[in-house]
Amino acid sequence: MLRYIVQRLIAMAITLFIIISISFFIIHSMPGSIVDDPMLPEDVKLAIEDKYHLNDPLPVQYGYFLKDFLSFNFGTSIKVQPRVSVFDIIKAKLPITLQVNIFSLILTVPVGIILGIVAALKKNRAADHIISIMVILFISVPSFVFAALLQYFVAFKWGLAPILLSTDATLTWTKFKSMILPVLALSFGGIATITRYMRAELCEALNSEYMLLAKTKGLSQVQATVRHAIRNSFIPLANIIIPMFFSILGGSMVIENIFGIPGLGQLSVSSINALDHPLTIATLFFYSLISLLSILVVDLSYGIIDPRIRIGGRK
Amino acid sequence: MSDINDVKNIKIDKEDFEFVQLNEDIKDEKFQGEAIGFFKDAMLRFKKNKASIVAGWIILIIIIMAIIGPSMNGYTYREQHIDWALLPPRIPGLEKLGIFDGTKVMDVKKDNLDEKYAGCVVKILDEYDIEYMGSKTSMVKAKIDIYKLKDAEDVYFWLGTDSIGRDLWTRLWRGSRISLFIGIMSVLINMFIGVVYGAVSGYYGGWVDMVMQRIIEIIGGIPSLVLIILFVMYLGAGIVPFILAMILTGWIGMSRMIRAQFYKYKGQEYVLASRTMGAKDRTLIFRHILPNAIGPIITQATLAVPGAIFTESFLSYLGLGIEAPEPSIGVLLAEGQKVLLDHPHLTLFPAIIISLLMLSFNLFGNGLRDAFDPTLRGQE
Repeated sequence: MLRYIVQRLIAMAITLFIIISISFFIIHSMPGSIVDDPMLPEDVKLAIEDKYHLNDPLPVQYGYFLKDFLSFNFGTSIKVQPRVSVFDIIKAKLPITLQVNIFSLILTVPVGIILGIVAALKKNRAADHIISIMVILFISVPSFVFAALLQYFVAFKWGLAPILLSTDATLTWTKFKSMILPVLALSFGGIATITRYMRAELCEALNSEYMLLAKTKGLSQVQATVRHAIRNSFIPLANIIIPMFFSILGGSMVIENIFGIPGLGQLSVSSINALDHPLTIATLFFYSLISLLSILVVDLSYGIIDPRIRIGGRK
Repeated sequence: MSDINDVKNIKIDKEDFEFVQLNEDIKDEKFQGEAIGFFKDAMLRFKKNKASIVAGWIILIIIIMAIIGPSMNGYTYREQHIDWALLPPRIPGLEKLGIFDGTKVMDVKKDNLDEKYAGCVVKILDEYDIEYMGSKTSMVKAKIDIYKLKDAEDVYFWLGTDSIGRDLWTRLWRGSRISLFIGIMSVLINMFIGVVYGAVSGYYGGWVDMVMQRIIEIIGGIPSLVLIILFVMYLGAGIVPFILAMILTGWIGMSRMIRAQFYKYKGQEYVLASRTMGAKDRTLIFRHILPNAIGPIITQATLAVPGAIFTESFLSYLGLGIEAPEPSIGVLLAEGQKVLLDHPHLTLFPAIIISLLMLSFNLFGNGLRDAFDPTLRGQE
């Protein structure tokens, strides 16, 4: 087990190294200069570019970059928040994103699981059909379409909730109210995914032989379902719920833009558009780190949740 | 050794052979009814799925409209009418019914009614006063004929115009054409790469498989969205960069599925029999094993199209959309989002089309999956 974890961590480090290298070369070979003020004299422009070593050949720049990166010095932002450390910017944006995403997770997981259980228990009856229609709608309609619809009808036409996220620093009632719509828009896709999985797994579990055994030994349908079927169908569900826990760290780029949430997603979009190279690399690195970590934890969790599954290369 | 040579030296003419049972009556029972082939069988099952049939028709209609739609009225997708910017939808015929009649409900000052909006007011819905900085202003909620207001009485923009006066109808269908093209092309190329990669990896196995699977692990380990964003940033926005970006990681799923199919079928007796009869690797791969996977391939490809269309509009939202003035559904949605509260029609129509497309492709794909493999029925 330990050997497996170490192997995976080394592989992850290599992947991350490849990602930052690719990002570095791609971002630095993009056309356009960070100094785009046409009124600036040429020598000032050169001085600015010299300061950030932008005029050195790429391999030299790469050397500087790697040296900084390996000593956990991610550099400072150039344009989005000039001269502020990238690390600090991300640290400041993270709580905002976290707040919205945690509420979304609190809504997504229970609702998804309950709907999935209802659909499986009432298979091929009215409730199941309604839930199926809802699932296919939620999966198909993109989140930004939902966001736009919610914003226009719920917030603007009916005035039930604010259009944009309130700027209150703490979690006040106004802030909570303004978070309802973004949270809804973020949650629909997740709810549909969990419901779909839960239904499929539970349907399979209900038809399995251990359910027959459970009923033969005297359990009622409810007892057998709660104690055996539902518990067993949670195992594959970890596969999609654990990444959801990790993804609360990274903001949704589109939803944050639509509702004016000044979180990580919006930060990465503005850094891409402003050609703020250190910030772009740092945010992309952060996103890669989250998704790689979640894959690792999912793989490790199999052995813990279900001891029947052995991890590692031993045969 | 000598035995073998003896056998080789025996010469038998073709005429010496004769069929023993040529005239014998075969006692087997005759087949009742017609033989049903694989596709006919699948088609029979598919036809029972009403939702998928409807989805198929919707896809077909959208594809046809994407082909002929942009040339249905006189406007082009880049023709600007600055004076006629942000007009609401107006369709001849339907306008008499009170919908798509080029009117818009606006809040205007009462004093302006007789001057600025003279002759354009269709109906006054509500009158009220507002107080601002101590002074009182009487306001009117009125339905106003924007076309009359902007001197465009005999012009019809079926779905209205955008912020620089381009016809939304033309742009919408041209955008659908581009989004569909990006979606379908990237999926086709992914399918091709995935099938070849998976077939080679699965058929040859051993160290070839090992090396190829490690390569997949590395590519698949990089978060695909990050990779796609980097790639589009590097190549610049455009149709070809989009398709290429989606190919980067898109083929992995298909290749895994094909590899699994090859592992399942390559050890079977009929493959061994064919190999004994001297079939080449190529024949075995493409003629004998791959056709088993035709159902899953078609299903997976259909279900991948909405994903590609979604990624395209997602990137457009981030400002990495294809270059102006070319529209795509994502570009239209991103443009509409900026003026959503005042001019919802700019968001509404692209939103309807993309939702319909994604819904239909998903339903159609589910129907195909059930038709090709009835054992999977009911698993969403």
